[in-house]
Amino acid sequence: MKKKILVVDDEPHVVKYLTTFLEDSGYETCTAPDGETALHVLRQEKPDLITLDLQMPNETGTRFYRNMTKDKNFKEIPVIVISGIPGRHLAVSKPIAVFEKPIDRAALLAAVKQAIGD
Amino acid sequence: MEPDVLTLLSPERKHTGSTMHELTDDYYRRLLDALPCYVTLQDRERNVLWSNSLSRRDFGESSEKTCYELHRIDRSKCSDCPVQQTFQDGRIHSREMTFIANEGSRISVIEHSSPVLNDRGTIVSVIQSAVNITSVKDIQKQLIMLGQTVAGMAHSIKNIMMGLEGGIYVVNKGIEAKNQDEVKEGWEMVLLNFEKISHIVKDILYCSKEREPDLQRVNPNEIATQVYTLFKDVAARYAIEVGLDLDENVKEAVIDPVGLHTVLSNLVSNAMDACKIDLWKDEHLVEIRTRLGNDGSTIIEVADNGVGIDKDLKEHVFEDFFSSKGDMGTGLGLMVTQKILREHGGNITFRSRPGQGTTFVATFPQRDEPEQV
Repeated sequence: MKKKILVVDDEPHVVKYLTTFLEDSGYETCTAPDGETALHVLRQEKPDLITLDLQMPNETGTRFYRNMTKDKNFKEIPVIVISGIPGRHLAVSKPIAVFEKPIDRAALLAAVKQAIGD
Repeated sequence: MEPDVLTLLSPERKHTGSTMHELTDDYYRRLLDALPCYVTLQDRERNVLWSNSLSRRDFGESSEKTCYELHRIDRSKCSDCPVQQTFQDGRIHSREMTFIANEGSRISVIEHSSPVLNDRGTIVSVIQSAVNITSVKDIQKQLIMLGQTVAGMAHSIKNIMMGLEGGIYVVNKGIEAKNQDEVKEGWEMVLLNFEKISHIVKDILYCSKEREPDLQRVNPNEIATQVYTLFKDVAARYAIEVGLDLDENVKEAVIDPVGLHTVLSNLVSNAMDACKIDLWKDEHLVEIRTRLGNDGSTIIEVADNGVGIDKDLKEHVFEDFFSSKGDMGTGLGLMVTQKILREHGGNITFRSRPGQGTTFVATFPQRDEPEQV
């Protein structure tokens, strides 16, 4: 069965880019444009990995992470942080990897593979 | 009677009568008085026993005043007072400080304090000398603004690269899979980012050409109100309140209206960015103010209680400024703003407290309307 990745980003173009690339690399994807929606999608879809944009407005990304880790069903899901701001990523305590924009596709894929396999 | 500085400096010696000594003494008095920095002599309670000519010129008479009263710093002693430290350990201490002069202008200084000893080696008073570094601070601020511009542009370009790579990837996928919709979607991403690049190029070209501003008789308060209306709803979405504090004495001025609008928009946009990335406060306010300067100039201030600017030019403070994506912000707003002010013969500066907020101040000098040809 294909592994599933939840892409959380407020920019539709970035979502389109990441989902197209990840699907092309053999993964299923689901998406959310903000932290609140991401929590719903998380419970519904139960992804194997999450890519999280920390540059979304109103701290919705960091809030999502805090809520996610409070839930024992979800706190072990690996998280990859997409952020251009050093220091911001510290809001997430154990990201699998942190990527700055523009994202290195090959490196992103390698990090995903290492975390959840093909 | 004028306090005699030589008597204050060495009370054991007698400075009386007209002798050879007195002529030399007179020379030293004049020398001390003429030193080209602010000099005061203080006792342990920070009472100013004597001040030199330059100090009297900019801060007024010092008799019966304490140091903090004379320099209008605060109602009581500074917690990091170098004079106090010198009284304690007999060593020279310094710090940067801002004094307020007679007419209310702010003077940035480096303050040094050194002990005055009597024959027995006891500290009898402390000399405070303060050097005016306002012009140096101005240069420092210009550098900080330049750094912001560079960081802003780099950030914009990084986002554009991401957008272009994404669009190109999706277009290629669409071509491969013979999926027209994918091709269209990817192409839109490419076009959008091309537009963003165009805006950056436009701003760079704007900054590289010298031009005369299109001076007209305008009401600055009206333009400030327009910008306020433009931003207040967008700001509310980020829990930022926008305020308007207009001086009714600012009725009209000779300014390029488009230039003024651009300056205000850029400053408000930057102020909002500073608030957006300030994680330490829940309530944010951006205030647009107008004031009439003493010389008839029009002063525009945009104040925020965002993250502030660190004078040590810490990198991440700049990058953080440009976290807003998706908009057409080029990162060059501040550079464009500086250019507009320069073309008007005005200037822009800021004051900031890291963690507390920033106020940008743009001054448009009073001018005559250009002659109608």
